[in-house]
Amino acid sequence: MAPAIRTVGLVKDYGKVRALDGLDLAVESGQVFGFLGPNGAGKSTTIRLLLDLLRPTAGTVEVLGQSPREGGPALRARIGYLPGELGLPSRKTAGEYLHYLAQLRGGRGAERIDDLAKRFGLQLDRPLRALSKGNKQKVTIVQAFMHNPELLVLDEPTSSLDPLLQMEFRRLVDEAKERGATVFLSSHVLAEVEDIAGSVAIVRAGRIVDIDDVRALRERAGQDVLIRFASPVDAAEFAGLPGLTDVVVQGTTMTCRLHGEPDALLRVAMAHHVVRWQSQDRDLEDLFMEFYRDEVPGAVAPAAAATAVAPVDEEVVR
Amino acid sequence: MSVRTGTIAAGALHDQRRGLIGWVLAVAVVATMYTAFYPSIGAAKFSVMLDAMPEVAKVMGFDKILSASGYVGATVYSLLGAVLVLVCAISLGARLIAGEEEAGTLELDFSAPVTRDRVFLERLAVLWLTVLLLVLSITTTLLILSSALDLGLEPAKLIAASTGLLLFGGAMGTVAFGVGAATGRRGIGIGVASSLAVVAYLFNYLSPLIDAPWMESFSPFSWYIGNDPLLNGFDGGGLALLAALAIVAGVGGWVPFGRRNLMV
Repeated sequence: MAPAIRTVGLVKDYGKVRALDGLDLAVESGQVFGFLGPNGAGKSTTIRLLLDLLRPTAGTVEVLGQSPREGGPALRARIGYLPGELGLPSRKTAGEYLHYLAQLRGGRGAERIDDLAKRFGLQLDRPLRALSKGNKQKVTIVQAFMHNPELLVLDEPTSSLDPLLQMEFRRLVDEAKERGATVFLSSHVLAEVEDIAGSVAIVRAGRIVDIDDVRALRERAGQDVLIRFASPVDAAEFAGLPGLTDVVVQGTTMTCRLHGEPDALLRVAMAHHVVRWQSQDRDLEDLFMEFYRDEVPGAVAPAAAATAVAPVDEEVVR
Repeated sequence: MSVRTGTIAAGALHDQRRGLIGWVLAVAVVATMYTAFYPSIGAAKFSVMLDAMPEVAKVMGFDKILSASGYVGATVYSLLGAVLVLVCAISLGARLIAGEEEAGTLELDFSAPVTRDRVFLERLAVLWLTVLLLVLSITTTLLILSSALDLGLEPAKLIAASTGLLLFGGAMGTVAFGVGAATGRRGIGIGVASSLAVVAYLFNYLSPLIDAPWMESFSPFSWYIGNDPLLNGFDGGGLALLAALAIVAGVGGWVPFGRRNLMV
């Protein structure tokens, strides 16, 4: 079976700006695949190439075994698309717009609108201009899923949803996966995809710099941990612990960066009276800043020719 | 699972419905105000006014207002009525693809299982339908007023002038639409079409003043009104040129629209 999405040496220029610089990607059918990268890395550009909104400068794109251009409307009928930045027509109500989009699909999906709207608490009779950012996002989720597409292409699908709705969204993705659909979702935060995606690709400056499973990536990204104790502690106690870096102690407060299991840190901390515990997954943006900072000048060959298959792993600086 | 023809057009019309009603009423009011004003002044007073005007006024065609047909032609069809139709057609034309693309509201239409050609043609149809409704509104108003006030406007010539206005407004709107579709920039569409409209208007009025008849042959405004359709009926040549302008603008927008990047 052909991969659901395959790009080889994909290049996209906007005038003199190179947005994609030889992107190689393969997403197997039935996968839930995370597409991660900082803002401006080329995520939306890649996605719009999949939908034939953009035409490639060089390289090839295949979606469900076809080039988006040749596949045309028949191919797009099999895709559900959630744009990252969508303007909604202000003069329609949510229901009118969703039914209009179903009509563009020959009526497919119309019967699921009410049910999906109910699941997400979306009021269909409200005009789109009156909707909050979160409610607009619900509209885009409903329209992407309503016709049970074989392939879902979701550009930052949950960025404005509250945690409860993010769970509902996750259920929707699971349902899609169960019926065999492929889900391709982009994000600039790892947390958004880690619970649903099996594997992830990281894109930076228009190239894939890493493809990995989610757990390995999380370990590499690390967490920022803050612990407050009842009485002052000594930094030396924490300094040598495995997976711990950037330990700073100020009186009763200890901050550090944790990679991997928190077990050793917890054991040491438990010797004291812990008043407050806070740990936050690091934004990929930060991770990339770190990549850039640590880079040896000249270590990354910029804009080499559109090379095929994964010679780029070395670019990931540990 | 084929998509019914007209789905996109109906959706776009639904979005414009309030504005459309406003425009239809506005041109009807303008036509009414000009025309209702005519009997209260009367041809005699116009004659006195004309004598007091400088020669240039006669060159510019103001002497035609001595008849009701000439008056309606010089006011509704040449001035405010035409301007309103143009403003509506150009702004709508530039918005229907380029404006909505810039606002992001077309992204889901473009990624739906419909061809770009389909989006282009159905949205272009909305433009022409809108211009048609405005022209019908003007024509109907004038027909009613003509019989109510006994102005003696000939329906056949009224229809000739209205056909010209439809093609003129439609063609200029199509220029805005086509340039917008080709570039994805609403501002460029409006800019090109309104510049063309201004040049067309200037050429039409400057041509007799500076004795340069070639200017009229390059002015879409002259193609439309130069032959005084309200006095002389259909002007086949002018109408054909306007239709040709619309087709050139339409094809000129359609070809690049099918090839370019969308939503950038």
